[in-house]
Amino acid sequence: MQREPIETQDHGAASAGEKYRQSHTPGETGIWVFIMGDMMVFALFFLVFVFYRAENTALFQASQATLNTHYGTFNTLLLLTSSWFVVMATNGVRKNLRRQAATLYGLAFLCGAGFSLIKVVEYREKIQAGFGLTTNDFYMYYYIFTGLHFVHVIIGMAVLVALIHKSLSGLREPGDLALIEGGASYWHMVDVLWIILFPLLYLMK
Amino acid sequence: MNKKAQMICLMGAVAMGILMTVGWWLLARFVPPPLPGASAADIALMFRENANGIRTGMVLMIAGAGCFMPFIAVISAQMKRMENGPPVLAYTQLLGGSMSVMIILVPILLWTTAAYRPERGDEIIRTLNDLAWFLVAMTYSPAIIQNLSIGMAILGDRNPKRIIPRWVAYMNFWLALLFLPAGLMTYFKTGPFAWNGLLAFWLPLVVFAIWFNIMIYMLYKAIKEQPDA
Repeated sequence: MQREPIETQDHGAASAGEKYRQSHTPGETGIWVFIMGDMMVFALFFLVFVFYRAENTALFQASQATLNTHYGTFNTLLLLTSSWFVVMATNGVRKNLRRQAATLYGLAFLCGAGFSLIKVVEYREKIQAGFGLTTNDFYMYYYIFTGLHFVHVIIGMAVLVALIHKSLSGLREPGDLALIEGGASYWHMVDVLWIILFPLLYLMK
Repeated sequence: MNKKAQMICLMGAVAMGILMTVGWWLLARFVPPPLPGASAADIALMFRENANGIRTGMVLMIAGAGCFMPFIAVISAQMKRMENGPPVLAYTQLLGGSMSVMIILVPILLWTTAAYRPERGDEIIRTLNDLAWFLVAMTYSPAIIQNLSIGMAILGDRNPKRIIPRWVAYMNFWLALLFLPAGLMTYFKTGPFAWNGLLAFWLPLVVFAIWFNIMIYMLYKAIKEQPDA
């Protein structure tokens, strides 16, 4: 593989991109140990939630009714949009459109920041209304699951900053594209986890 | 000679695994953990009925915790090979590991104290037991820092032949996240996030066991393939 920096939009980057598309696993294989492991843990979280919910459906439904679905819906849209930006950005990296890619990662970062802001506002509202971590089982899961997901979002935003930096400097080493795809895959996982978390906590009848 | 020393240190992990299992699980019968919500009388009774089992179990666990130290050192020795320049990640791992040994040793002595005079007041025994469980199960940050530094060192490895495969780095990052819920046990006396809960105790324990075995195997291979200096 080429080791010299790719200065312009040349064949080097394009063919590296194509090779990657053929191999079909985005990122390096190792990142999938993390992603699959993390998704397994969240799957276990969700099973635990559904199990305890079934034992006390009335309480869970009553508490669920106190959540603000607008916040949840808006945050879902924000994360979906951010994922779309990340897909576009990663395509840009493959075509060596550095500025475009960096801008798109930046937009995804802003979506993440918006998500975080809404999350904080939502937590504040709930705490002021007297719903805390130890109020009841529903709120325990609500705070812990969304809180752990929030930690993922914060880490993801740090990853996006790294991706902005990486995409600006272009693909320099053989492993660079895999690194970028790995970071992008992580962000998609954060999105997917929320897409399961949102209906489970806010919508489930 | 050095490779032999490393192998001996690595065997410390095996000794630790055995001593901890026998001491903590079979003799002291602390797995599954006593209920966080149990009454003082129940906890005190547990220490009175099994005073000698707990005493002996703790003696073995002290030995086990000691055997953890050379294992931590081997991890750092191999990490040092991965790092260019000052081995700051290896040092961080070493510190995290040392703290892990401390947070195993101190609760052992608290349990020992409780079992030493089991005739003392119920409430005191329960307090000692609470303290021991929080120390051993809630103190998540040293382990997380350890996992993160191991993972970062593996990813930063620029040797032509990798010392440890990259997926092991991601496994370490995964483990770091798994230790986070342990911090929540301060709020709960029942449920999955209490110190005997599925998500705060069992899941981290099982995953730690997997990590422990994979790390032993990977280090064994790394030492074997290390060129003689």
